[in-house]
Amino acid sequence: MDVALSTLLSPIILFFALGMAAALLRSQMSVPEAIAKGMAIYLMMAIGLKGGVEMSKNPLTTEVLLVLLAGIVLSFLIPLIAFIFLRLTTKLDQVNAAATAAHYGSISIVTFVAATEAVRLSGFDSGGHLVAVAALMETPAIITALFLASRGGGGREKPVAGSEQGELVREVFLNASIVVLVGALVIGWIAGEEGTETVRPFFVDLFQGVLCLFLLDMGLSAGRGLRQGWRQLSVMTVGFGLYMPLVSACIAAAFAYALGMPVGDAALLITLTASASYIAVPAAMRLALPEAKPSIYLTLSLGVTFPFNVTIGIPIYIYLALLINGQG
Amino acid sequence: MEKHLRIELIIERMAHKRACRVLEAGGMTGYTVVPAMAGYGNSKRWSRDTDLSASGDMVVIISIGDEAKVRPVLDQIGDLLGAHIGVVTVTEVEVLRPGRF
Repeated sequence: MDVALSTLLSPIILFFALGMAAALLRSQMSVPEAIAKGMAIYLMMAIGLKGGVEMSKNPLTTEVLLVLLAGIVLSFLIPLIAFIFLRLTTKLDQVNAAATAAHYGSISIVTFVAATEAVRLSGFDSGGHLVAVAALMETPAIITALFLASRGGGGREKPVAGSEQGELVREVFLNASIVVLVGALVIGWIAGEEGTETVRPFFVDLFQGVLCLFLLDMGLSAGRGLRQGWRQLSVMTVGFGLYMPLVSACIAAAFAYALGMPVGDAALLITLTASASYIAVPAAMRLALPEAKPSIYLTLSLGVTFPFNVTIGIPIYIYLALLINGQG
Repeated sequence: MEKHLRIELIIERMAHKRACRVLEAGGMTGYTVVPAMAGYGNSKRWSRDTDLSASGDMVVIISIGDEAKVRPVLDQIGDLLGAHIGVVTVTEVEVLRPGRF
């Protein structure tokens, strides 16, 4: 209960709620687009550097490698489960169900950052390698979704006019989040704590303030997305956006339990698995499955699942991590 | 003044490079890409500041050429719009320097 309250009443979540309320009430408030993109890059650099520095303190153990592998397996697996639920409980066709499922197998780096702060506020440590897990979990879901969409004749038979070989691979593996996150992680790993001391005031001391401003903008985005796209969603589809994170969280909790992960690491793996992408995957889906409707998958992941995760989900995921460690 | 055709293609940002490749492959001598701010279509409002992926953003591509070049390009753009979100219009325009098209 304390964990839930401290998470819900933290400034980052309250700023998120402010942004979402402002957008739903049709306030004219907005964060300039270039600033929002700059903040996203800053946050990914900061979290990547922090993870890299943490990783540099310890050697790569079998346990760490197993967690990295678990992340990849989960990202491949979750879209399959999401696809089955979507096909059974909603009226989405094969291509739209596959595209939506991809979002739930991939991750939301902002939810991860918010969870990292919630874990820290709850008094638990987390390993830097979870940042690497986040980067590894970005793309496998896209591959599963393409397989699901192409199965049984879904998707296009021939490439769209103007398509170029390798454009999808570039979008999937070299999108901004992966390049910045992995790049900063490697830099942090190479430079270590001593080497990154000079950039500490920028990347550590300012982090909380920038995160508040970013979450305010994310609240505005989520609220606007919901306001503009809610008519495209059926009750069952909205229901999927709320229960699927919990299904994913339970599966991830089983993985974390099997791997004997400590509370902080387990909470972050669970959060990553429960989160849904709204940056990397929507962009990839527009190229790979252009027939799928962004008004469904983007509204669902950004307008329904993201607010659910940052407000109610994260405390539940921390509680799940406590449960599997016998501290619930 | 000589008559030419002006293509105005409103298309989702993620697909604009595909459209530009179609124009280049079709021998169009130039085009301009302009960002769109907001709009309404398919019973849904959209605006470019909705999400960070910018995958929902739209752009406007303007290109001018003679009919012999424009017609085959339009077939390809038709295929592109069979998959991607967008609208294309063609209008007759007069150009001052026909040699540039």
